[in-house]
Amino acid sequence: MTPFFFGETNKQLYGVFHPVQNKIKRDSSVLLCNAFGQEYMRSHRAIRQLATLLTKQGYDVLRFDYSGTGDSALNLEQVTAVDWVSDINVAISELQDISSVTRIHVVGLRLGGLLAAAACENRDDIESLNLWDPVTSGLQYINELKHVLSDEKSFNENGELNSNYQDSTGAIHFNGFALHTEMQETLKQLNILNIDLSAIHQLRHIISHQRVDSQLFIETMKQQKNFMSTFINSPYDWNYVDKYGGILLPQPIIQEIVNCLI
Amino acid sequence: MKERAIRVGRPMPLIGVICEPDKIDNKRPAVLIFNSGVMHHIGSCRLSVKLARSFADVGVLSVRFDFSGIGDSGARRGVKSFNETGPIEAAEIMNYLQEKRGIKTFILYGLCSGADAAFDTALADNRVVAYSQIDAYCYKTALFYFHYYKSKVFQLERWFNFSKRMIKKIIIRKDNQLGVKENTYLEAASYIRVFPHKKVVESGLKTLIDRGVYLNILFTGSEDNYAYKKQYRDSFKRIDFGSFLELHYLNRATHIITHPEHQILVVHTITDWLMFVISKTQQRP
Repeated sequence: MTPFFFGETNKQLYGVFHPVQNKIKRDSSVLLCNAFGQEYMRSHRAIRQLATLLTKQGYDVLRFDYSGTGDSALNLEQVTAVDWVSDINVAISELQDISSVTRIHVVGLRLGGLLAAAACENRDDIESLNLWDPVTSGLQYINELKHVLSDEKSFNENGELNSNYQDSTGAIHFNGFALHTEMQETLKQLNILNIDLSAIHQLRHIISHQRVDSQLFIETMKQQKNFMSTFINSPYDWNYVDKYGGILLPQPIIQEIVNCLI
Repeated sequence: MKERAIRVGRPMPLIGVICEPDKIDNKRPAVLIFNSGVMHHIGSCRLSVKLARSFADVGVLSVRFDFSGIGDSGARRGVKSFNETGPIEAAEIMNYLQEKRGIKTFILYGLCSGADAAFDTALADNRVVAYSQIDAYCYKTALFYFHYYKSKVFQLERWFNFSKRMIKKIIIRKDNQLGVKENTYLEAASYIRVFPHKKVVESGLKTLIDRGVYLNILFTGSEDNYAYKKQYRDSFKRIDFGSFLELHYLNRATHIITHPEHQILVVHTITDWLMFVISKTQQRP
């Protein structure tokens, strides 16, 4: 496992490359696209474990942090969803270089699924796009956060200042991470139903729970030959935050993603 | 400011990020930023990254890294507890910085389990000249009970919430009897926080103060054992901390510092204290 920085000098991205741990190396590699905010914190171990399992199945794997998140350069206030989509394309190129392959499998968790879909549109080198509990619409994602904020009080039951609120600039603060207005606007432009994914060899939708938007997505996409949806019943409270930063490791769905790629 | 990924130690390296100011002064101490609980090295709400970059802005080098088995660092073989491995692994990072950058003194930062590791490491390694902790080991005093209950007793909402919690506990107990399928998917923190006996901590603090180690300790409103600003000093009355202890009580802040204003406050407070420590330690022969 090799941690490194890549990309443009003034906006370096932090990545971790997991080289193949199998005698036979496949002719394609896997890029893992993170969720955002607390969902990213809570899924870090799961993403790392997925990377490790895939290396044992013959894949080189790259996981990385978007600009303004994790160890990557910049702050959240300095980036938009357009930058994040661009970061995924930079990461795909980096992985193709390191791994000496052309074909890439992309796995995106939650918001990472939506961003990955946007990045993969019009690309002809994507072997498969694997959407794990994806956010299907940026607008809906923002609205859901705002809906939660509307129920929040200024102080929680311990007398601590509530950190989930919308400030006077319109920025949404949620579980310690902020989405400023430009980020919100650029996210709202993204809707998976408006993205042309027909050039992708295989499009997989792997979900741990049923939602109205995922049903709509399935209904819309099921006509496409490359589409497959799988339901694996497992916990999905990715945005939950506790005192110790507890993490979620839904083994069945991690294993299912591995199974999909072998 | 420049950041670089590092791998330190063999066969299972510790993974981290070194954050360097534009100009490195190896006479200044470097900062080691520890994990908070099971969160990886960016820290709760990215606080460790914000701290590291703030330190670089004032000319201080730092390393944020994952202890073995946490975040990007793989698990190492062995049966030692975190209290034992923490100082050993922190020493590996200090050795690395001493060898590669010629830095000889160090300041530690940690929240929760990271705070505990900072205390253990400072005791074990004389190169540590200061540490900053969020929600460190603390012990109740008589005044604690006064402050704790005065804010709660007369609030009707608290009684309502208390009743709600009690009912919930009963329901959860019943659910647990039926089976805890959910737990199959959850990874509990591998570090179970147990406060040592007060005498052990008191003895350790005395050693550190006698050695001239500077302490910056912040408590949050989430720390159930803490209720007023001076409690730390009051609970260790036998120790003359003098100017070696800087104490803060952020009673409206959560344990993992989720509110953006508290994040800014914490970064400023620790960075200012860091400069104070550097000015003091550079006067030493």
